[in-house]
Amino acid sequence: MNYPIWQVPAPGLVIALVSIAHVFISHFAVGGGLFLVLTERRARQRNDALLLAYVRRLSRFFLLLTLVFGAVTGVGIWFAIGLVHPQATSSLINTFVWGWAIEWTMFITEIVAAMVYYYGWDRLPARTHLTVGWIYFITAWGSLAVITGILTYMMTPGGWLTERSFWSGFLNETYLPSLVMRTFVCVGLAGVYALLAASWSGDPRLKSKVARYAGLGWVLPMAVVVPLSLIWYLAAAAGAGIPAAEILGADGTGLPAILKALFTADGTTGHPVAQRAALTTIVAATGVILMTLFLVARRRRNYGPIFTGLLTFLALVAMGGGEWMRADLRKPYVIGGFMFVNGVRLPPPAGAIRAPADIQVNDPYALDVLRRDGMLAHARWSQVQPAAEAAALEEPEARAEALFRTGRELFKLACTKCHTTDGYQGIRPLVAGRSTSGLQTILGHLARPVNREGRETGWDDPDLRLATWRGRRMPPFPGNQAEQYALAVYLSRLGGDDRAGFERQQAHGSPAAGPGSGREETP
Amino acid sequence: MNGFPLSPVPFPDPVPQPAPAWILWGLLVFTFMLHLLAMNFVVGGSVIGAVTARLGRRAGRPHHMALVRWLTDAMPIALAATITFGVAPLLFLQVLYGRLFFTSSVLMGWFWFAVVPLVMVAYYGTYLLAFKSASLGHWGSWIRWLTIFIFLVIGFIFANNMSLMLRPDLFRAIYADGGTAHGNFGDPTLWPRYLHLMLAAVAIGGMWVSGYGLICRPRRPEFGEWAMRYGARWFSGVTAVNLFMGFWFLFSLPGETMARFMGPVPVATFVLGLGIFAGMTTMTLMFLAANAPRPSPLVGCGIGGLLVTVVCMVLVRDQVRRGALATMNFEPVQWVEPQWFNIILFLVLLVAGTLTVVWMVRALVLAGRPGTEDGPVP
Repeated sequence: MNYPIWQVPAPGLVIALVSIAHVFISHFAVGGGLFLVLTERRARQRNDALLLAYVRRLSRFFLLLTLVFGAVTGVGIWFAIGLVHPQATSSLINTFVWGWAIEWTMFITEIVAAMVYYYGWDRLPARTHLTVGWIYFITAWGSLAVITGILTYMMTPGGWLTERSFWSGFLNETYLPSLVMRTFVCVGLAGVYALLAASWSGDPRLKSKVARYAGLGWVLPMAVVVPLSLIWYLAAAAGAGIPAAEILGADGTGLPAILKALFTADGTTGHPVAQRAALTTIVAATGVILMTLFLVARRRRNYGPIFTGLLTFLALVAMGGGEWMRADLRKPYVIGGFMFVNGVRLPPPAGAIRAPADIQVNDPYALDVLRRDGMLAHARWSQVQPAAEAAALEEPEARAEALFRTGRELFKLACTKCHTTDGYQGIRPLVAGRSTSGLQTILGHLARPVNREGRETGWDDPDLRLATWRGRRMPPFPGNQAEQYALAVYLSRLGGDDRAGFERQQAHGSPAAGPGSGREETP
Repeated sequence: MNGFPLSPVPFPDPVPQPAPAWILWGLLVFTFMLHLLAMNFVVGGSVIGAVTARLGRRAGRPHHMALVRWLTDAMPIALAATITFGVAPLLFLQVLYGRLFFTSSVLMGWFWFAVVPLVMVAYYGTYLLAFKSASLGHWGSWIRWLTIFIFLVIGFIFANNMSLMLRPDLFRAIYADGGTAHGNFGDPTLWPRYLHLMLAAVAIGGMWVSGYGLICRPRRPEFGEWAMRYGARWFSGVTAVNLFMGFWFLFSLPGETMARFMGPVPVATFVLGLGIFAGMTTMTLMFLAANAPRPSPLVGCGIGGLLVTVVCMVLVRDQVRRGALATMNFEPVQWVEPQWFNIILFLVLLVAGTLTVVWMVRALVLAGRPGTEDGPVP
């Protein structure tokens, strides 16, 4: 509402595609850095020319993959989130600019170290070369450690909601389990990448050596640690108020309960996309482990790029599913407890740090303000008839048409961050055959504020939880009553009810606070 | 229907700005200068490399091909530096002017997002040329020109966004137009701004060549002196044209913004005046260097003059932005809560990172190239 909307269908998919590509490569970049330097050390200690030549070849591929694809897709995420979620990106930048700046110092060092490492193979003494390799790994992992803090803050912002301090947001409840999990994912992916690189070699001795070393020493540790850290992560998320079990359709956050739910869920409760993503991750990760074991046990000297290519693809799918699930656990927020996916903010919790008394800070995009004034009163880029005015039109045809147009605009403002009309998370099948009044009821129950015990509370409760309709993790409808009606008319028409909007409806909301009456702003 | 009673400039976030504006501004200007110097190597060096490769095809021009080799080998590194140094100013810009920048970016949509795949394709192009140029045959020339074309398009996209963010008066009309990709093509400052910047990039690319010649001269005097003169010709020739482009840009600015440079705002007038003076002096020095029997001292002074010019022109650019912001009554954020610990941590890590980078690069340079006994190689 504050910013114009980039009107592409399912804009979240743009972020998802760029992010998954980047996350995959960037985890490679961290783990691969450790793999290169440890393998080089091992080769030098054992005077193993074959292994040393292999690491050297690997480093060029590594340079081309991580420096170009990894670095550019990293910038790409930034471009994508700025286009899709400018409101959230702006808040993140204002809160964590120094986190990103610190990460930037590591990024520079990392990039230079990667280049010096590659160009230094024949030029630097072995000891210096290894030192450069370690510098690469440490700074790459440092980047990961910083970005993980910001990523986990987006789901579990910790004490930041009341304290508004960088470190209380950064060192949040899910930070440590997430960092441990990501570190071991890096290690595992490095092993996958080493197997892929070795598969191109025609030398069975090298293949066998790498299969044992990378398969047993790198991929399998991931297989052990990641599920354990995932349990830790989900428990930490649940402790921070994320209803992970509910989203995944399970009756607990333990791994057995989640596995059982994922393999038996029918999608009627929780978040079906998150459930499918989690299931995909589990199946693909199991595939990675089984293929690695098979390779080590039976095909050690004779595996080719097709086999390892499939292994890498499965690792990508597992990683992508995991990231997708993480993003869905965060829903309906884009920044937990602070901002919903549609850019609407919650009112600050009671006791939150506020601006000094001499500085006036208003938030016209807070839920309570929008519900009072109506969304369209603060929609900077919308030019449609206010809902109350549309509903008050005498002539039924004109009224229905005006309500439809206003409802369509409200849908764009409140819903299109996640829903399309007919494509990804298409709304039409979801509203097919529903009446305006039925849809109004659903819109009114999308999300309610409850406390830890599940009792009704205010939106500014510091211990806020969300009770969502069928656990679908949707944000509450952020407009006034008249707008809720207009949106219901639009959705009902979309669902096939051509008479929607023709009924005579009492326009809700007081005229004084209705849309169109509050379109002034106090900076 | 409601009209548009709300301002097209979005409302500030209800979170505090994490540093005083002067720190963010200082870092924005400083890191942008670094980005500019690296970007000029990429754009200017690519153009000079392509033209020089063409000229070097004639027999008896080994220096041309040696220069092309160096430019080609250095290009991936320079592009990495351009991207890395570009991240920081974009970050600080978003804190200070995010409300304008995010809006213009969203309006540009796919056009803005296209920067990402374009950079990637061009990046792989530079690596292909650096690693495989011998086996590429005539494809090498095509790839070289393709990467140049992509660099020029990326520059054009940035010029669009940086100029559009200063035109909130155009925001609504562009948004009302619908669609998912727009430019700022109707803005009279767009083309002179873009051409001025790109020509400056080619000129400074020439200065990079002269600088390389200066470094090479002690070891390879003949090539070094040739490169100094050759780069000086590029610099002085292109700058002579670019002076006119600069005046076109100045006179294309809205009246109130242009007026800042004519006296009412002494800082603006001073930096523009000094920038033009330094630029013309540098152009003269390089013109003389292009024809001098011993160009080294002139090139050395020219590099100094260029640095002064770049500093001034970056500040002029900032004054253009300030002028535009003043005309639209852009209010800076009032709520400032500096994160001093993080600011200091950043500065400490910046120093530590810089020292580490210097140590690594020094170790590589001092080690010399493999298979040679000549030790350090520039």
